[in-house]
Amino acid sequence: MSYRLQRLPSAHPGIAVLARLVAIVLALVIAGIALAFTGARPLALGVQVISSTFGSSFGLEDLGLLVTPLIFTGLAVALTQRIGIWNIGAEGQFYLGAFFATWLGTSIAGAPLPLMLVALFLAGALGGALWILIPTLARAYADVNELITTLLLNFVATLLVYYVSTGPWRDAKSNMLASTARIRYEVPEFWGIVHWGFPVAVLMALGVAALLAYTRWGYEVRIAGANPQAARYAGMPVRRRIIVVMLLSGAIAGVAGMFEVAGTVHRLQGGISNNFGYLGIMVAVLARGSALAVIPAAAMMAVILNAGIILQTQGITTSTVLAITGLVLFFTAIGDEAAHYRLVRTGAQPA
Amino acid sequence: MTQTGETAIGGAGTPPIVLMRGIAKYFPGVVANEGVDLEVKRGEIHALLGENGAGKSTLMNILTGIYQPDAGEIVIDGYDAHFASPVAAIAAGIGMVHQHFKLVQAFTVAENIHLGWSQTPRFASARALEARTKALAERFNLDVDPAKRIFELSAGEQQRVEILRVLAREARLLILDEPTAVLTPAEARELFKALRRFREAGNAVIFISHKLDEVLEISDRITVLRAGRKVATHEAAACDPAMLARLMVGRDIVLGDYRKRDVTAAPSAVPPVLELDRVAAKDDRGLPALAEVSLTLRPGEILGIAGVAGNGQRELSQVLTGLRPITAGAIRIDGKTVDKPDASECAARGIGHIPDDRLRSGLAPSLSVTDNAVIREYKAAPLAAGPLYRPGAAGGLAREIAAAAEVAVPDFAMPVRNLSGGNQQRLVARREMRIAQKVLVAAYPSRGLDVGAINTMLRYFVELRDAGVAVVLISEELEELLNLSDRIAVLYEGRIMGVFDAAAADFETIGLLMGGRTAAREAAA
Repeated sequence: MSYRLQRLPSAHPGIAVLARLVAIVLALVIAGIALAFTGARPLALGVQVISSTFGSSFGLEDLGLLVTPLIFTGLAVALTQRIGIWNIGAEGQFYLGAFFATWLGTSIAGAPLPLMLVALFLAGALGGALWILIPTLARAYADVNELITTLLLNFVATLLVYYVSTGPWRDAKSNMLASTARIRYEVPEFWGIVHWGFPVAVLMALGVAALLAYTRWGYEVRIAGANPQAARYAGMPVRRRIIVVMLLSGAIAGVAGMFEVAGTVHRLQGGISNNFGYLGIMVAVLARGSALAVIPAAAMMAVILNAGIILQTQGITTSTVLAITGLVLFFTAIGDEAAHYRLVRTGAQPA
Repeated sequence: MTQTGETAIGGAGTPPIVLMRGIAKYFPGVVANEGVDLEVKRGEIHALLGENGAGKSTLMNILTGIYQPDAGEIVIDGYDAHFASPVAAIAAGIGMVHQHFKLVQAFTVAENIHLGWSQTPRFASARALEARTKALAERFNLDVDPAKRIFELSAGEQQRVEILRVLAREARLLILDEPTAVLTPAEARELFKALRRFREAGNAVIFISHKLDEVLEISDRITVLRAGRKVATHEAAACDPAMLARLMVGRDIVLGDYRKRDVTAAPSAVPPVLELDRVAAKDDRGLPALAEVSLTLRPGEILGIAGVAGNGQRELSQVLTGLRPITAGAIRIDGKTVDKPDASECAARGIGHIPDDRLRSGLAPSLSVTDNAVIREYKAAPLAAGPLYRPGAAGGLAREIAAAAEVAVPDFAMPVRNLSGGNQQRLVARREMRIAQKVLVAAYPSRGLDVGAINTMLRYFVELRDAGVAVVLISEELEELLNLSDRIAVLYEGRIMGVFDAAAADFETIGLLMGGRTAAREAAA
């Protein structure tokens, strides 16, 4: 009588969720043990994090502000994943969306707010879509790997925003050294300090999920993503689908930047993205490319980020917080893989 | 059939080269092998016969160290052996030539021979490697050109390189997995000669196949596997095809003549449904793949395309289904010239397509059974409503197709790759039959299927033919083509070498044409 591990081709959904929960708890326990060795009191810190995050509406509102851009960027990456493409450039598209929104929001005065909100939304989407246009065409027509092109354009976008916010667009009236003037229009609040970007983000995730599941277009995207040859075999226009999916992805990331400027920060400044673009990649990976799962994945990422902010006020360094974040993701990945296995008994004399 | 050499070299007292006892291997929900015994003596060619999924490959993967057995023992030359990896098996003198060659296409023959070999000199010029390869080729009497690159070689030549690679590593037991699948009859005869020479030197061969005739021709003993278990081992001399087929499938099968039909059809009187007129096309690399191809296809007939794989079959099936643009000539559907054929238009006009490699081009392996079942009909009601796609209706259609294909699907949301190869193929075939109102193009539909599944597949084609659909059957199994087709066209290097009435065609002429020789040229040679 002996036992063996057996790999299943697809994990049972219940087991998958359980494996993730176990993984997160294990990661936190290990982080706690490490922290205890450095002299901190991990349990007290944990209680502190939980009570400041979930114990008050302020904590939840902070969470809401963090989760909004993460849903957008996570959705942008998850969408391209469905057609087998990696958009690593959500960071750059986020900056461009913010850049376009700032330009529109600071240069037009006295327009009615509802009209301006629509215009800002479109400007953000346009900025993001424009920033992914070259990688899109290069990928669709010349088969240039989008990983490289989208990634490299991030640095261009980052530097562009640093340049305008410290140079030509710098706010001369305030003492801020690296920020533009306050933009004239604000996205109204939805709940506490959480602006309307949050419900828009959730709706957009639901919309993209419905688009993929309940339209012919979405079906074609899924087939093309799973096997482009099969899509061509069925006569689907793979190139056109790739182009639209990539532009849509850029637009969604751009909208994230627009809401960050017009809803949360109200000014364009270097570093406004807070790495939301890159974190979006992790959100998409946690969500396994599913548009609906982006919402809980973004929420989990927001809790981790928020915990990091709280821990920093308790004297835990940024590097430690990053290490804990990494540990959680690492364990989640192991948990996902482990969910594919089950223990079977192999008898010496099988019946 | 039994060779006198066998008793002289592998007689009593000499331990067998390989002895496998009570081998078992389990995969999720599948017994791949259980209680399998296999004995291979020195100086014998031992055939391993069985349907697909009978456990032949698993057993050989265990013998070559790719898998570890869950139970049982392996004895090599009388000593217990444990192969932790293929490297250990090669060191023990066991080498395998896989069905799909594992050669580096862009490398020369000499480079491929020396790749990953401990005896490759650390510093060696291309010329030195070629000289070593030439010496090896002479020693083992396998004719290869050391300086040629793999992609320039025919399948038969590539196979010789694979065999030389294994023999160079001092293999005493050569395992060949369906070696003749890619060969012309003439090339197969050459291979058999080489195998007999190898046997005469006191070595052994395990020959995996499901072609009964060649197994009887080449082997000394035959072991039959069924459903993961050993059924029997017999002297080849004591076997006949019907008996082997019975052992393989566990029931009597009829290799019937499918050309007989109940409906009296007169194909030549009806106007053609699909015509190719001096068509040329290029392959994926932009090199000419088809030239001057003219074919006429009439309703209610089966046109067989014979030829060794890689002579333009893939391109021809793609041209017929609108997947590949033509560079010259014309395609006519129902007498009307199609200017720019595309795949979805061809499908809409009633041309179905069972592609040569279902997992690579006919299915999206990671998506659900439902998603894959409806790939041809998602645009039409009831699945589509305007721009919308209705998953519920798709599920219904998928169930219908699975029922018609007689495939038991436990969960329609599970990835289609979880189905067995035979079930995937049946599903694809049924899916395509639904849209094949006029023409069905089937490329290697029986490849990788067991006898039972092949029979089902061939029955499908007969069903379609009797319903007035024209079937293009691309295959490398001459027997299958002769059994089923009304006419047979032979494709060689992208050209049609001739079209024959299948009833009057003879095996040898077609075999020669498949190898690029015309009967006249052969007579002159």
